[in-house]
Amino acid sequence: MLRFAMREAGKLGLGLGGAVLLAAAIAALADPRAAAGVWAFLAAWGRALNGFLHMDFGRSTMTGSDALAELGAHLPLTLGLVLEGFGVALLVGIPVGVLFGSGPARRAAAPLVQVVSATPIFCAGLALAYLAATVLHWPVPRGTGVATGLVLAPRNGAELQALLLPVLTVGLAGAAAAQLALRRAGAEGAGQPWRVQLRRMGLAPFEIEIVYGVPQILAGLLANLGDVMLALFSAAAVAEWVFNYAGAADLFVKSVALHDWAIVAPILLSFASLTMAAAFVGRCAAYPLAAPEAQP
Amino acid sequence: MSGAPRTSGQSLQALLQIVGWVGLGLIAVAVSLSDFLASAPADATAIGPLLMPPSADFRFGTDILGRDMLSETLHGLSTTVRGALPATIVTLFAGALFGFVAARLPRALALPLRTLIGVAASLPALLLAVLAIGLSSRDWVSLAAGLSAAPFAFARAFDRAQMQERAPHAEYARATGISASTLLRRDLVYEFTDTLLSSAARALAAVSIILSTLSFLGFGAVPPHRDLGLMIAASKTYLLHAWWTGAFPALALTVLILFARLAAGLHEGERA
Repeated sequence: MLRFAMREAGKLGLGLGGAVLLAAAIAALADPRAAAGVWAFLAAWGRALNGFLHMDFGRSTMTGSDALAELGAHLPLTLGLVLEGFGVALLVGIPVGVLFGSGPARRAAAPLVQVVSATPIFCAGLALAYLAATVLHWPVPRGTGVATGLVLAPRNGAELQALLLPVLTVGLAGAAAAQLALRRAGAEGAGQPWRVQLRRMGLAPFEIEIVYGVPQILAGLLANLGDVMLALFSAAAVAEWVFNYAGAADLFVKSVALHDWAIVAPILLSFASLTMAAAFVGRCAAYPLAAPEAQP
Repeated sequence: MSGAPRTSGQSLQALLQIVGWVGLGLIAVAVSLSDFLASAPADATAIGPLLMPPSADFRFGTDILGRDMLSETLHGLSTTVRGALPATIVTLFAGALFGFVAARLPRALALPLRTLIGVAASLPALLLAVLAIGLSSRDWVSLAAGLSAAPFAFARAFDRAQMQERAPHAEYARATGISASTLLRRDLVYEFTDTLLSSAARALAAVSIILSTLSFLGFGAVPPHRDLGLMIAASKTYLLHAWWTGAFPALALTVLILFARLAAGLHEGERA
């Protein structure tokens, strides 16, 4: 286990190092001296890296505000959206993955899950908004790119309604990744020879499932935590735009449009770091749960 | 390759792949004949009354400028597919092919490359595409979509190539003195004859999503060359009162992605 964790930590360290280099290269573009040539860009890259080491990510070229402060103001909203979406993903993904994992139930559910998987997130978000407005008579945010300053703990019904739509959109995207991870783990576990051996030893099928099957399935989900998080961040980027949610992904899109690279760099770094950290934690947590032959 | 009989699951999968390819073929026909099939030229306004619901005269209704939505959806599908094709080729070469070859490079080169691309693969492809357009221009939207889908394809091909390198046939080949380049050529031929079509369909699904989302966010197609993403973005304001302005382009986009996913043999929920 320790050897595995060390190897994974090494991979995480390398990945984070790469993410810092990439983010610093983007931050260097904010330096007006970087445009003078290759050497000037490399010098700006070095300065940006040095700044990163001292937690100085520069200032927005549009507003003049500190990039780290901007990130601190917007990232919690995205993280809240992703975490609450993760909750929905588990709530929807686990039953779908377990109940429709195999047999006739899977064949019956497959066409619907395929169509949902093929629907782009912005279409799903707009469809949810349409249904909420026409069926439930909820107000739908209008226009694009308006900062609403939503909080994640809604204080009233209107805030809850405004929060539910993006959370559901993000959650459904995560649910597709979660159910796939669960289904694959379930299918792998179903074919393992130890099931037959355990039955011969006199264990009841239910006991085998609870004591041996469930940890395998959980390990499968945890091992794919990075993929689930990536799906959630991708969905958050679109959901924030569709629902005028003033999170970090929305800020990223606007900052790229305005060429405000000092803001773009820390957002990119934080997204990459969070995804890689989730993958690391998931794989380490999955390792002791997985059967020896399934351990990487 | 093997003579083992197919299971019912494999037969269903093969059937769905055929359905996917037939669907993509029909879309290709509709795209190539879009100027003939559409009753109005692209972006032709005042063809009918404003925001008219679907009817016998206008089967998909009309939008706020009186454009025929059926014709616009056909033209939008054509623009989306025409943008997605070069992006698919970019993903195939910069992702699948490059990843397969990179895995056979010396370890000192291959591992840093895998780590670097792994960083890009840990970011949402959409944000990478937005960044690529921000660093270049909207004229390069297909290239940006193709490159942003490439890291995932690279990582997948890289890992598959490394598995093949450890396969028994590779061990035997090395033991009998066959050179690394000959083995790479052999594996490349098998890789591409076995997976080229499914990789292409997978890449098509991925880049279609990226391209349309880019247009939805305002980073892609520019009027009058509206693609499906831009049409859906334009419908956002009227969606509650005129659902047909967004529903039909969204349906066309979903059908395109669904057929590409089926042709690629992707499982339900699997990332394209």
